Amino acid sequence: MLAQKPTRSTLAAAVLMASVAMPALADKASETLNVAFTKELENVDSYFNSSREGVVLQRAIWDGLIYRNPETNEYVGNLATSWEWIDDTTLEFKLREGVTFHNGEAFNADDVVFTVNFVANEENGVKTQRNVNWMKSAEKIDDYTVRIHLKEKFPAAIEFLSGPVSMYPNEYYAEAGPSGMGLKPVGTGPYKVTEVVPGQHFVLEANGNYHDSPKGQPEIATIDIRTIPDVNTQMAELFSGSLDLIWQVPADQANKLAQMGQFTVANESTMRVGYLQMDAAGRSGEDNPFTNKLVRQAVNHAINRQELVDALLQGSSKVVYTPCFPSQFGCVQDVTEYDYDPEKAKALLAEAGYPDGFSIDFYAYRDRQYAEAITSYLNAVGITTNFNMLQYSALREKNMNGEVALSFQTWGSYSINDASAMVSQFFKHGALDSTRDDEVLEWLNVADSSTAPDTRVEYYTKALQKITGEAFWAPMFTYNTNYVFKDEVAYTPTSDEVLRFVDMSWK
Amino acid sequence: MTDVMDPLAAEIHGPSPRQLLKARALSHKGLIFGMVVVLLLVLVAILAPVLAPHDPYAQSLMTRMVPPVFMGGSWEHPLGTDHLGRDYLSRLIYGARVSLMIGAIAALISGVIGTAMGVAAGYFGGKVDAVVTFLINVRLAMPVVLVALAVVAILGGSLTVVICVLGLLLWDRFAVVMRASTLQISRRDYVAAAQVIGASTPRILLTEIMPNVFNNLIVIVTLEMAHAILLEAALSFLGLGVQPPTPSWGLMVSEGKNMMLFEPWLVLIPGAVLFVLVLAINLMGDGLRDVTAPEGRS
Repeated sequence: MLAQKPTRSTLAAAVLMASVAMPALADKASETLNVAFTKELENVDSYFNSSREGVVLQRAIWDGLIYRNPETNEYVGNLATSWEWIDDTTLEFKLREGVTFHNGEAFNADDVVFTVNFVANEENGVKTQRNVNWMKSAEKIDDYTVRIHLKEKFPAAIEFLSGPVSMYPNEYYAEAGPSGMGLKPVGTGPYKVTEVVPGQHFVLEANGNYHDSPKGQPEIATIDIRTIPDVNTQMAELFSGSLDLIWQVPADQANKLAQMGQFTVANESTMRVGYLQMDAAGRSGEDNPFTNKLVRQAVNHAINRQELVDALLQGSSKVVYTPCFPSQFGCVQDVTEYDYDPEKAKALLAEAGYPDGFSIDFYAYRDRQYAEAITSYLNAVGITTNFNMLQYSALREKNMNGEVALSFQTWGSYSINDASAMVSQFFKHGALDSTRDDEVLEWLNVADSSTAPDTRVEYYTKALQKITGEAFWAPMFTYNTNYVFKDEVAYTPTSDEVLRFVDMSWK
Repeated sequence: MTDVMDPLAAEIHGPSPRQLLKARALSHKGLIFGMVVVLLLVLVAILAPVLAPHDPYAQSLMTRMVPPVFMGGSWEHPLGTDHLGRDYLSRLIYGARVSLMIGAIAALISGVIGTAMGVAAGYFGGKVDAVVTFLINVRLAMPVVLVALAVVAILGGSLTVVICVLGLLLWDRFAVVMRASTLQISRRDYVAAAQVIGASTPRILLTEIMPNVFNNLIVIVTLEMAHAILLEAALSFLGLGVQPPTPSWGLMVSEGKNMMLFEPWLVLIPGAVLFVLVLAINLMGDGLRDVTAPEGRS
């Protein structure tokens, strides 16, 4: 009976799909790979969007000076052939010769100088300032030598130069600007853009003159990316053959698709951590229950993290107790862990002076299903929640104003493999800090600025142990993402949540 | 009753209007069907705690999306479980409470507003009529769904907000129909007679006008109730209506939507129940109109 259930429903789905099947447009024979994006991209220009889809296109259309191998995490030259630190705030690059942009413009030091000076200038309004505001300026030494000056010491410079900072053609960009670049992007990357219809689709074609880059050579001739917001529609098109690859597929649907046996379903973990943020500092009201440590501990004990991971998130998700992703440097796991114990949670609430529980506004901005499951655990121990689902920007603003007592939050650390990207983001008395603990701030300041790894680990450990011991947050789980593609597509996803078209090929 | 004993009297008077009404009602299939279904659902809603096999809020993540009995499930969960492992039948039963309550209260609020405006306009005429007609036109110019969406988005979704918003938006039809019927009735001789004998205005409105427009009122009540139930489902579907974990049929459709391809029953069951309820209320309304206004039938 159990074995029959999935077969039956999958069969029903297949029949349903067969009845609406359209002629297959995409396959190996047509040399076109059809991909779906869920969200619309505001601007293809990678400095003027902040979405995951934008990162995917950025990696295909443009190149950075440096490339980080996503498997070995080793830095190798891409548009630069070598680099060295002249002093603490100056980097010198030797550039690769003979590289041309998609429009025929030759790549040289002028392009690097122009790009860096343009994006580093805050007035030009690059969307994610954090990606570029550590650079002061660039200076041309000769045609193929360039120096980048930093504002201050910044150990992660190489990481950023291999990620979000890509090189633009100076003559074209000066003329077209961000909006022109968004409609007709020109880069040096493995794929060139032949069509941009905002909100509908992007067509990429393999760059035949791609230089000898560590990214490898593009194998698939054409890639057609369409924006399809609804997951059900995406799957229907996958069945009917008009899509070859979809990603960010929810776990339940991915399981069903895997059972059908016609598709490759790959699951990869991401750095995103899901947690409950509690107003320990009392910003939403002095008398709010979360200023009491016992209440925060009760919340931690009320949630069945393992069940959430097993039943809802599935895949390569893990239970976490730290306010950071376990693989991040400094994210020690030697912290207070709160096991699932609703009775203890009730006892703690009673001890804190809430024998009958209390009622509180609960906020969330994504994954409604997870949020509902979490509130249901809280309701079970007596914490009545008024459920509010907001847009991310709206919740962020409310949070910055200190109006949020309890919320379900997630943080992806920009895929930066260092605890500072998460802990230091939220516990250093910034606008989003719901704790404001002076000791934690002091320790994090030492850990963030020190160059000695041992000192960093020591102080992160102190901070993390206090954060978990005081139950300032209730960290719960890490996220994962599912990629589903036709069996004739060969691709191995990486753990950084970036689709790399250049790594895809037909079987 | 002595009349009935006397064969001569019976021949002269025939069946009383009440008896005629009853006979017409009983022979109207749509009305009977609608009434039975609505009554049944009202009973289910009232008896929810007794009828529901499980706690509608009890989550069990280990038994998520168990299919209903007729698709290979077990009798433990006759209609299966939802995406959080909550019993679907129990949520459906408690959802009936939400739907009927919203339908009834919203219709009541808008009924009171609309009737007061309509009757006043129809009876007094003149400037009162001009003002009311203007207000009705203003109201008709605003798309209900859009206004409801905007208001709920600003105030935040909750049961109270949804009921108030719908109650304050759906009075237009009451006002239009009540105004027209009152206009008609107030020209009748018995109203004039009441005025002549010096009856006060409230007395005329309550004892002469209201009883005679009541039939029309009932029909509009049913129509607007169905309208409110559908709007609540639509708002909840969009995430702006009743908030989880409160069971609402619209919310259940919305929650099942993502799994529609593989588990279509998650959407079909609440959708079907919603359809049956709205159909039944509409049939009941149509039936009442047919029965109470026989001259309307060709």
